[in-house]
Amino acid sequence: MSAIEIRALCRDYGVGRAGDKRTQALSDVDLTVELGEVRGLVGPNGAGKTTLCKILSTVLEATSGSAQVLGHDAATDAATVRRHIGIVFGGDRGLYGRLNARQNLRFWAAMYGLHGAPLRLRVDELLERLGLADRAGDRVDTFSRGMKQRLHLARGLVGDPRVLLLDEPTVGMDPVAARDFRSLVGEMRAEGRTVLITTHDMAEAEAVCDLVTMIDRGRVLLTDTPSAIGEVVPRHERVVAGAVPEQTRQALTALPGVVSVEQEPSGRLRVETADSSVTGTVLRLLVEAGVSDLSTQRPNLEDAYLHLIGDRGMAVG
Amino acid sequence: MRIFLTGFRFQLRVAWGSPDTLQICVTAPLFTLVFMAIAEHAERPDLAPFAIVSPTLMSLWTLALFIAGELIGDERRSGTLEALIAVPARLSTLVIGRICAVTTLGLLSFAEAWLVAGLVFDRWLAVRHPLPFVLCLVVTALAMAATATIFSPLFILMPSARTVQNTLTYPFYLLSGVLIPVAMLPFWLRPASHLIFLSWSGDLLRDSLAAPAPHDVAARLAAVLALGAVSHLIGMALLHRVLRRVRRLGTLSHS
Repeated sequence: MSAIEIRALCRDYGVGRAGDKRTQALSDVDLTVELGEVRGLVGPNGAGKTTLCKILSTVLEATSGSAQVLGHDAATDAATVRRHIGIVFGGDRGLYGRLNARQNLRFWAAMYGLHGAPLRLRVDELLERLGLADRAGDRVDTFSRGMKQRLHLARGLVGDPRVLLLDEPTVGMDPVAARDFRSLVGEMRAEGRTVLITTHDMAEAEAVCDLVTMIDRGRVLLTDTPSAIGEVVPRHERVVAGAVPEQTRQALTALPGVVSVEQEPSGRLRVETADSSVTGTVLRLLVEAGVSDLSTQRPNLEDAYLHLIGDRGMAVG
Repeated sequence: MRIFLTGFRFQLRVAWGSPDTLQICVTAPLFTLVFMAIAEHAERPDLAPFAIVSPTLMSLWTLALFIAGELIGDERRSGTLEALIAVPARLSTLVIGRICAVTTLGLLSFAEAWLVAGLVFDRWLAVRHPLPFVLCLVVTALAMAATATIFSPLFILMPSARTVQNTLTYPFYLLSGVLIPVAMLPFWLRPASHLIFLSWSGDLLRDSLAAPAPHDVAARLAAVLALGAVSHLIGMALLHRVLRRVRRLGTLSHS
């Protein structure tokens, strides 16, 4: 049995006064997440990541297809699915600002059937684990966005779920909190929980996920390990150098095996090469020109993302 | 039952010190002052029970309409409704627990009204028949909670209904005999009054404050409960329909 099994899933939204215009948020999505796996779901805004999470968490109906969690259908057996999942929706909404952090968590723990001493223990443990114990008695509307996000995470964990759905969980977190989050996901994995994380932060996906699924315009593009996805971009190597003389730049451009020479916004020169022998020649030329600010890079997940999805900037959908 | 109690306690915490609750705390004594002043000016001390019972029922109704009625809409606007749907607890049980907390708070307005009549006008009204009185307060609060379960999903299904939210106060107070006895209404209007549980509640509460023993207590309590039960069934059906609809349309988190 898989933790998550999605088959031919489609979801349309109606647009316009009568819902006469349709927009397809998910189109024939197939996805399998195994037990204990940490799966990243990456894609640009409007790709369908949140829609997928909402269907899995039973708060949205699919137009067609099926979504199962631990063998239970999210549409027809929603009550059982809800007992096994924890969900963290992105953004800083979704908490009761007039209540303090402890009261919020106690309320949500009760919604998962906890009560009495086990409830109090679970809440205190999570407040400690998420670094909120010192502010547990403070009203949530006085919290920073990052603290609210940590409280969201605690809420997602309060029911001790076997499957955790995290929709943009590090939005608003500072770098230290985001690093702590990554170690928290590692703990989730060690505890045998299945985690589905949606993100468009490639570094985050690369750091915490066993497998990454790229999704765009409601369709799954590919699923693989972060390092294997890095291989889907052309096997170019990259040399980045600062303060490169114009004469050297021209020489690099004319060099056989150099695929492209571009200037980065920082002013440094980025040279893409066809293979490592050309990279060696490029490095030698740069050193001979007296360039000391040098580095080489292999394609990473972010390169693959940009290669597959394109650099659409602020564009949605 | 635990979910009901969790909802009850949760709502008390949320409501405590909220502007809406404070508004009721202020308006109930104010209405009592006005009604008692009219009764005293007319040299009609027999109207004192009206002056105390009316603000109590008006407070209950206002709370049901404006706080309990906005409960699901507020959850939707604050982004918590999605998370509430995704938990194992039944949303309807939680909602009922929270609405009951709202109506329980509304019962405090009786104490306020009673104190104002005593402290300001030196009319310390004795509750001559405490058992029917307490029972009536309890079933009235329950029926009010049940009625509020209609408002909450109705305002989501039909946003235009919110525009007539304010008009659902004074016409109802008149029609249900909260402000004046039903017997003073035109004959053809009285059957409509009897379909509103407040008319049964108001009569029994006032009778319980008066000297003669109230008649047909059990039947009148049953009428309040039955009308409340019908409201509850309608409310639950509407709630179910709202949840189905927003899950189907994907508008659960829309404000």
